[in-house]
Amino acid sequence: MSYIITCPICGKRDLYEFRFGNEDRGPAPKQERLTQEKYVQQVIMHAAVVGPQKEWWCHSSGCGTWFTTFRDTTTGRETDENGTVK
Amino acid sequence: MKLKRLWTSKPLKASYDAIMIGGGIHGLATAYFLAKDHGINNVAVIERRFVGYGGSSRNTAIVRANQRSQSNVKFYDEGLRLWPKLIDDLDFNMMFHNCGNLNTAHSESALSASRLSVSTAQFCGVQSELLDRKQCKELIPALNMSWDITHPVFGGMYHPPGGVLRHDGVTWGLARGADKHGVHIHQLTEVLKINTSQGKVTGVVTNRGEITSPKVMICAGGYGNSIAYKLGIRLPVHPLTIQAMVTQPLKPLLNHVISSGAYHVYANQTLKGEIATGAHMDPWPNYTTNTTAHYFRHQAEALTELLPCFKGVKFMRHWAGLADMSPDMAPIMEGNYPIEGLYLDVGWGYFGFKSGPITGKYMAEYVAKAKRPEILEAFSLKRFENFRPTGETAGAYIYGPWN
Repeated sequence: MSYIITCPICGKRDLYEFRFGNEDRGPAPKQERLTQEKYVQQVIMHAAVVGPQKEWWCHSSGCGTWFTTFRDTTTGRETDENGTVK
Repeated sequence: MKLKRLWTSKPLKASYDAIMIGGGIHGLATAYFLAKDHGINNVAVIERRFVGYGGSSRNTAIVRANQRSQSNVKFYDEGLRLWPKLIDDLDFNMMFHNCGNLNTAHSESALSASRLSVSTAQFCGVQSELLDRKQCKELIPALNMSWDITHPVFGGMYHPPGGVLRHDGVTWGLARGADKHGVHIHQLTEVLKINTSQGKVTGVVTNRGEITSPKVMICAGGYGNSIAYKLGIRLPVHPLTIQAMVTQPLKPLLNHVISSGAYHVYANQTLKGEIATGAHMDPWPNYTTNTTAHYFRHQAEALTELLPCFKGVKFMRHWAGLADMSPDMAPIMEGNYPIEGLYLDVGWGYFGFKSGPITGKYMAEYVAKAKRPEILEAFSLKRFENFRPTGETAGAYIYGPWN
């Protein structure tokens, strides 16, 4: 079984060409009044959603582009935001 | 001959003194020690599938206490010494075989790292020693000593008290022991929601109805994140699928557990003669527990380069389970934070099996007395926001799916 996701430049490629860049947590918190707790929440705390999850990926063994996409964590398949397999 | 069930099926009560979410080694051990040592036997172990169906039966059953940091070594050492006592107390043969672990070093720097770990172990009074190349070969004659391989052997770290157990036996023994002390084990019972009121846990909602309880512990292995997130709690843990496999049975030739960081392989010969081997984690978080051809091939290549006599041997079974990796490769054992009455026993990564009973012993004390036992000080959830990781890895928070 192989996993495939879509790079915006190179198209559909084997997931092993990509580096996982964590789940998407929105923009980074502002530097002013940044607490350790907020920082840690942004950097290492994971929801690890069961089902489709918005994630950052880098095509590290290809064009090097960073992009976001949805992936169903229970099947490993790339999906759209509603969970429909692409 | 009349077969006797190891544990009985009891009706689901509306209220318990404590609820364990997850019917694996950790949940069963905590329930067992709560009942045996603290007199709290109105306890339910809630399991979504079947007892021991998750990580408890998907690991490679290796036990050891040769970690890097003192807090870890002391904890796992006590865990290692608990096994024979537990086997006696439960009167259940878990087939503890303390054959010793050899961790091979494949570079000068890896050998230096082994030297540090050996010093830590010896400082803590744990048997561990540094071996040179020749001594490694004496210990494991099948080892490939050629310099013309991807990762030649430079030496190793030998840890005699380590070994293997029969992991199903551990689960069954603990389930029977817990049941004898009055614990209720509920299989096919999924927690849908954890109820809270005014910052306190009040119970859980399951697919079989609502249960009230002032104390709820999450000990669901790789599924810990998904349960904690029902309360909006994020954990510094990645659930990663990890794979293992066994070969056909062979005559005895591997008398120790061997592990190699560079080859990313660990292997041991079971008492049946099969070579149980594994190590690969998916480099992205998922709950699939899928096995992959990608890894099957990698494992065969790495194993036969390290131990060439396995060339041509056939793999019989290949399976996968979940490992809940924390960023500093040490567990998180937390109580009454961030919500009163909630206990977390997560982030075990690939140390969940070896730590099962000892975690149960101390988490039972934590749950019973609502006070953190001293040995668990290093493993709080707060260590991450205080930037005080355990020191198990060289840098802070580096360990993720990408390495």
